[in-house]
Amino acid sequence: MRRPLVIHLLCAAALAACTGTIGNTDRENGARPGSANARNGASGGGGHSSGASAGSGTYGGAAGVDVGPAAPFVAYESVARRMSQAELDATLRDVFGDSTDPAHKFLPEDEFRPYDNDYTVQQASAALIESLDALAEDVATRLLSNSATRAKLVPCTPSGPGDVACFRQVVTTLGKRAFRRPLSADEIDAYLKLQSFATETNPDVPHDFYTAVSLFLRAVLQDPEFLYRIEIGAPTKDSDIYSLDSYAIASRLSYLLWGSSPDDELLSAADGGALGGPEERKAQAERLLADPRAKTQVHRFHALWLGYRAIPHPADLTAAFNEETTHLIDRVVFEERGDFLDLFRSTDTYLTDFLADHYGLPHPQGGSGWVPYGASGRAGILSHGSVLSAFSKFSDTSPTQRGILVRTRLLCETLGSPPAIVNVDQPPGMGTDAVCKYDRYAAHRQSSSSCNACHRLMDPIGFGLEQYDMAGVLRDHDDGLPQCPIQGKGTVEGIGDFSGPAELEKLLVGSGRLDDCAVQQLLTFAVGHELNGTELKDAAAHLSTFRSGGRAFDGLLVDIVTSDAFTLRKEPPAP
Amino acid sequence: MTLRLGRRTLLRGAFGVSLGLPVLECMLNESGTAHAQSSPLPRRFVLVFAGQSLGGDGWERDKNLVAGRRFTEPGHFIAPASTGPAWEMTTPLEPLKDLRGDFSIVSGMNIPFNKTSAEAADVPPGGAFRDFHGGAACPLLCGTRSQSASFTCRSITSDQVVAKLNKGKTPVDSLVLRAQPSWYLSGSSYSGRQYISYGDGGTKIEAQTSPQIAFRALFQGAKPSGSGASAQLDFALRGKRSVLDLILDKRQRLLSQVGAADKIRLDRHFEELRALEQRISAMPSMPAGGCTVPADPGPDSPIGGDNAGAGSDTIATNTGYSDEDTRARVMADLIHMAFVCDLTRAATLQITTFQSHMNVLTVTTALGMPIRADLHECGHNGDANNRGQLPVSTCLKWHVSIYAHLLEKLKGTTEGAGTVLDNTVALFVPEGGHGLQLNDATSLWQTHSVEDMVMVVGGRAGGLKPGNHIATGGAHPATCLISAMQAAGASGDTFGEVTGNVAALFA
Repeated sequence: MRRPLVIHLLCAAALAACTGTIGNTDRENGARPGSANARNGASGGGGHSSGASAGSGTYGGAAGVDVGPAAPFVAYESVARRMSQAELDATLRDVFGDSTDPAHKFLPEDEFRPYDNDYTVQQASAALIESLDALAEDVATRLLSNSATRAKLVPCTPSGPGDVACFRQVVTTLGKRAFRRPLSADEIDAYLKLQSFATETNPDVPHDFYTAVSLFLRAVLQDPEFLYRIEIGAPTKDSDIYSLDSYAIASRLSYLLWGSSPDDELLSAADGGALGGPEERKAQAERLLADPRAKTQVHRFHALWLGYRAIPHPADLTAAFNEETTHLIDRVVFEERGDFLDLFRSTDTYLTDFLADHYGLPHPQGGSGWVPYGASGRAGILSHGSVLSAFSKFSDTSPTQRGILVRTRLLCETLGSPPAIVNVDQPPGMGTDAVCKYDRYAAHRQSSSSCNACHRLMDPIGFGLEQYDMAGVLRDHDDGLPQCPIQGKGTVEGIGDFSGPAELEKLLVGSGRLDDCAVQQLLTFAVGHELNGTELKDAAAHLSTFRSGGRAFDGLLVDIVTSDAFTLRKEPPAP
Repeated sequence: MTLRLGRRTLLRGAFGVSLGLPVLECMLNESGTAHAQSSPLPRRFVLVFAGQSLGGDGWERDKNLVAGRRFTEPGHFIAPASTGPAWEMTTPLEPLKDLRGDFSIVSGMNIPFNKTSAEAADVPPGGAFRDFHGGAACPLLCGTRSQSASFTCRSITSDQVVAKLNKGKTPVDSLVLRAQPSWYLSGSSYSGRQYISYGDGGTKIEAQTSPQIAFRALFQGAKPSGSGASAQLDFALRGKRSVLDLILDKRQRLLSQVGAADKIRLDRHFEELRALEQRISAMPSMPAGGCTVPADPGPDSPIGGDNAGAGSDTIATNTGYSDEDTRARVMADLIHMAFVCDLTRAATLQITTFQSHMNVLTVTTALGMPIRADLHECGHNGDANNRGQLPVSTCLKWHVSIYAHLLEKLKGTTEGAGTVLDNTVALFVPEGGHGLQLNDATSLWQTHSVEDMVMVVGGRAGGLKPGNHIATGGAHPATCLISAMQAAGASGDTFGEVTGNVAALFA
């Protein structure tokens, strides 16, 4: 496993300032636009002086730290994972036919670390339960009051309010889709008593067959077996390793590749116990990857990974960025299916006239299409307004934050926290007379300064992108300050010098660490927690396969789902 | 008063529960200060939190930069220049100008910190770890020293002390609300900045961020007029309980199958479901007196200007503002009516999170001073043309306007011989002060400061005598919380590691 020189040199120079203990929250919140520093209050879990959580000290190990003599890898730790907002909305759409994204409307915002599905911060609360109660009532009422959506949920025509056979059919069919496994006879029977609400004598209250269906839907939508992916599994010779049944494997497949529940075909495969073998999983994975839902899921991963899921621009510009970035992802991952690093190396981009004008690039033919970057200094996704918006403040770019983006998200390094006594919230240079942004960061560059030990890792990356504003538009001076020309020269310390996204991309690709980090990021997203030292060994194994397979992203996904670990669960150590 | 009713007389038939119901005049004693059966009127506690400090970084209190113009002018810092009842109005307090006699300003409060050591072990009792945003939260809210930059409170917060005091007396133990529904920055996450309520031992209490759902949760059991309508409510509530029973019936079977970690995770979920069922069963269904069901607030305003993306295949537009102004006012209305109806006696309203990145342009424009920054940057000189005291105080004034809205509603509802505000203590608590910087213990006039902190204490519960500006000369802010808890009925004078109250609040 590689061990980059730069970290070691700096460790020697500034151990306390730059390595220290890195809590997992430090790592993510360090990437806080709006601050001039890597620390972000070190909050939420332990802080930078104590409480580094399990595994956090070794995160990024494949890129930066020797993972050492960790135990042999068998399976990823896993517990019951509650669906994120995005996953719940996709599931409501696929299982119940609700395309209105109710989870985004009703549920508390997910914690993004940076992925929305980190189960280690999920905790049930009264607020969540009340929100789910409201969501369930809204969804059930809405879907049953519309004849088209109702017909999908209730395929039979009830003979009357108390039609047991039809109700049983609804419970059996929808119950299986919702719980992602067949219901036992006892479970089905338990729901039948809801039919008393359809049949009672009550002249003041309108009620019919669908009243009971509505209550059934609400009971399902609030059930932990629907909201969480609960994996039980069978014991193995290792006391903390459990072997999953086909239904749990089907859910793993669909939530990794679609961010949604298994479809009937996948559940049928699970019925036949057919997902235990890698060939069967491969066939299912290829089928799922050919579905549009896989694109949505891959888009989601990238938006969370690179931090551009919600950006501070008007709706038309945001939509144009979305179109540009998803076109590139789709071409690399789903159409060409070639080297994933083309996402960063691409020499053209998908524009509309509107976006071409925004960037100052040539118009595409016919109003929209691929436009060569030529000698513009741009290349790949790092040139997109989406990514260049990420890690900004609302009003400007932050060279430090962009450096953090590259270090933590693209190179999988951990950045330490500055000493608590440094107030990192003030814009750099507040105490000086400096007007120009570059001059305001002067203290970070002084080699005698304690700031420099860490900021040399971050700021020079951001200054190499500084000619691109927070909407990705080229500029030659600070916003509103013509007397402040931007040189746009940057350095990735330990790797090389650059200016602009195209040269940065060459450095990152050339470093051999970008693909390594991408594999770790995808696995983190897949398993719902920061990888521990043992799990990083598996990431290294997948990296090896990824590289030998020409770095096809869909191939990486297939490699993950066909591994033995995909069928196993490791019980986390007792708290 | 011609008719005396025992309170329980009204309760029979309402699910057979005996819980607090709105106070009718005829149920009070002759002086209107207590129930006829000698239980005193309920005392309520509400804490309204603003995620900002009191001044600008490096700006003295009379120094301002507005729309590019520098000027020196006093009167914009929240604490008035003079103490006692004749205090001068200040910019942030202007929304409270018609309520002068109904609140006191408590100023000059400091959280202790170690000026010579930033080590965790050297933080004094009740003190702040030397990193402002995370380090100040715990001593501010729970009176216990912080030993890291974590935002996590290590012991119970004041609202939950009051909630425990009233446990079982109302259907809802506490109402925990937050108006800012999103962290907004897409490269990071809340990580604890979204909590101001903690139970025993520092158990986080998640706030409800949807005004619509908060409304629904409080008032879904309210009985409409007409027999048809009440039959429908009865039907609806029976249905809801059946749904929850079906799920809760699975509890033991499921928990017996899962691993140790999931037993804890899932049991917590089931426990919250059970608590919901109990709240629904306990919800009084007979609005009376001043207790009425508020108007349905309607759908929540879109989050960040765009509710559709954030994790799907769509990149979302994010303006950093979700109409927190309306959200907070609706939440204040809900707290008001929850108090009037005695649905709860403890509430928190976190208008903005700690270190809030809510975009303040809309709310400051409405106050005549457009500031192009988020709330956090506003204090840190984020808008090159608007810096110093007046811009920061304008952001604070917006927060105070929400608090004033709540006080007005409480004062506008009669109860016994007075108003609901007379039986309420309502705190306004900003995140920080303005003074020596906590981080470096060197720089002056900093937002990262736990010096010269200010709270506003409204209401007359428990013998509070409002109307004054009280300069404490360095009291711990938790002493203000202790006073408020005492006003709400708590005994004792120690909270976390802090002992003593602000006696002048009662004098």
